[in-house]
Amino acid sequence: MTKKSLIEARELTRSFQKEGTAGVQALKGVSLEILEGEFVAVIGSSGSGKSTLMNLLGCLDRPTSGSVILDGTEVSLLDEDALAQVRSQKLGFVFQSFNLLPRTSALENVQLPLLYTDVSDLEGPARAALEGVGFPEDRYDHHPGELSGGQQQRVAIARALVNDPEILFADEPTGNLDSASSQEIMGLFTELNRRGRTVVVVTHDAEVAGYAERIITVQDGLIVSDSHSSPGEVAP
Amino acid sequence: MKTRRLLGQALKGLTRYRLRAFFMMTGIMVGITVLTVVLSAGMGARERIMERVRVFGLENLMVWAGGPTDQTRTGPGLGGGSSVTATLKQGDVQAILEEVDGVREVAPFAREGQMEVQWRDRSFTSPVFGITPEWQDVWDWPMEEGSFITSDDNTTMARVAAIGPTVVREIFGSEDPMGQVIQVAGIPFEVTGVLGEMGTSAGGGDMDNRVFVPLNSYLRRVVNQDYLAGIRVKVEDIREMESVAADITALLKERHAIAPGMQQDFRITTPVEVTVMVEEMQGTFDLFLILVAAIALVVGGVVVANIMLLSVGERRQEIGLRRAVGAKAHHIRCQFLLESAAVAFLGGMGGIVLGMVGNVIMEGVTGTPALLTWHVLAAGILFSTVVGVLAGLHPASKAAALTPVEALRS
Repeated sequence: MTKKSLIEARELTRSFQKEGTAGVQALKGVSLEILEGEFVAVIGSSGSGKSTLMNLLGCLDRPTSGSVILDGTEVSLLDEDALAQVRSQKLGFVFQSFNLLPRTSALENVQLPLLYTDVSDLEGPARAALEGVGFPEDRYDHHPGELSGGQQQRVAIARALVNDPEILFADEPTGNLDSASSQEIMGLFTELNRRGRTVVVVTHDAEVAGYAERIITVQDGLIVSDSHSSPGEVAP
Repeated sequence: MKTRRLLGQALKGLTRYRLRAFFMMTGIMVGITVLTVVLSAGMGARERIMERVRVFGLENLMVWAGGPTDQTRTGPGLGGGSSVTATLKQGDVQAILEEVDGVREVAPFAREGQMEVQWRDRSFTSPVFGITPEWQDVWDWPMEEGSFITSDDNTTMARVAAIGPTVVREIFGSEDPMGQVIQVAGIPFEVTGVLGEMGTSAGGGDMDNRVFVPLNSYLRRVVNQDYLAGIRVKVEDIREMESVAADITALLKERHAIAPGMQQDFRITTPVEVTVMVEEMQGTFDLFLILVAAIALVVGGVVVANIMLLSVGERRQEIGLRRAVGAKAHHIRCQFLLESAAVAFLGGMGGIVLGMVGNVIMEGVTGTPALLTWHVLAAGILFSTVVGVLAGLHPASKAAALTPVEALRS
């Protein structure tokens, strides 16, 4: 069975110009394709260009050259507002530092992406998303400061899923978690992928990458390997 | 995205950073408090001006003896002093009544400053006026007791007086003044009338401090001369005020043989001029206070702008997150602008409330009533919100200009 191509990157480069210095080329020509339903880990050391690659694939940034085709649309040509629209409708993000609004309940945090859509019922989808990530219902009203790291990241994942995105991006999602919570969170990503969600995790940690069925290694702005493991073989 | 949702986000943003919101609100509140107090005082002053013009009488003009530069003649503000110009006479009164169209009534009066009024061992200094019965009509002067100066009193040069409530209080205390004999500049007069209350004059004087005696009695018995201090003229129609004033000017110039280019020996005051004069007495004071309020508002605006700028810097993660989940640049701009406008609006509301308290305190200190009209409320709400929007423009633009990647990189 052939799976549909979700994202295709062609010859992506991204340079950053800093004042008074020569430009730094963070990506030097990267091509890849991510299929619907895949669980991909992008692994690389700090400064390898993995985060830059995620920003480009996640429509948070635009390439210096090359193109990104998301769901058949050439997104690298879109303007800022159109990119925001794409992020709103098709993408979800999870960050290392959870990035929850302080003094705001878990339930309200999850509603945030819906504010920028035409959806009129904010609470229903937010409750469903929290339930989907196994967040305890008696803590829906808790503020981030009253939750453990693992719980906060669950809220962040629920927030990323609330608008039912086609791809879930996670940038070092376990970077601020202890190992037990890390296992829980990676287990959750695996579970979400099993339910059909396309997941892209960016990490420097081989153990985290090990949860994915496909590992793309980035080094010095280039992809140095792209390997598939057989499903079911990976979980440690 | 609905504006209501953005406003909701802005208000939630404020509640997340309460101390910051409090400081911003305080900044605006101080400015609006000052503005409210200043405008209320100004409105109160305006109301008093209108009240004084009403007291002066909208249907009346005054002819004063003495030219426009004859400052010794008049006291501070309007009218009042002793006449040193000996050219306005009773013949002028008759001429105005007979020859000028549109004149309903004329009331001449004579006075020479303040005089000593005595009863038994008590004395008081009071403006003593020599008047005719018309004086009551042109001023609508109420009577408390007894009768006003009558026509007979005037022709017979009777030694009778009608005195104001201030004089009664100062000299007679709780005793009945009717029928008592008072000494006016050493000459005895019987009190035959007590005047009703008139309040404050257009010039700010106490109109209840008055001793009225018949004009002829005053001229012959008290000051022994024959010239007047002024003539009050009531017109038929207030729309003809200016033309009546012009006709009287022409008539008196002719009667007093004043050639073109010569200095006039009289002066005419209409209600319009009274308004201008009383306003001039208040004007510079108001301008200064409005300047103070404006400075306070600018300082408040700078406080808000600074704190908002700080806030944008500290909330980059939040901005990045919102952008990542689908917020467009203008959503971010609106959110911060609304935060700034909302905090200023709330500060403005607080300022209005504090201003009301300030009004009460100011009334206690200065004794002049403040007037909080809807203009003042509207100005407070408008200026606070405008300052909030202006103060938020730069911080909001800065927030909106952050790219998602920049903002997320902490």
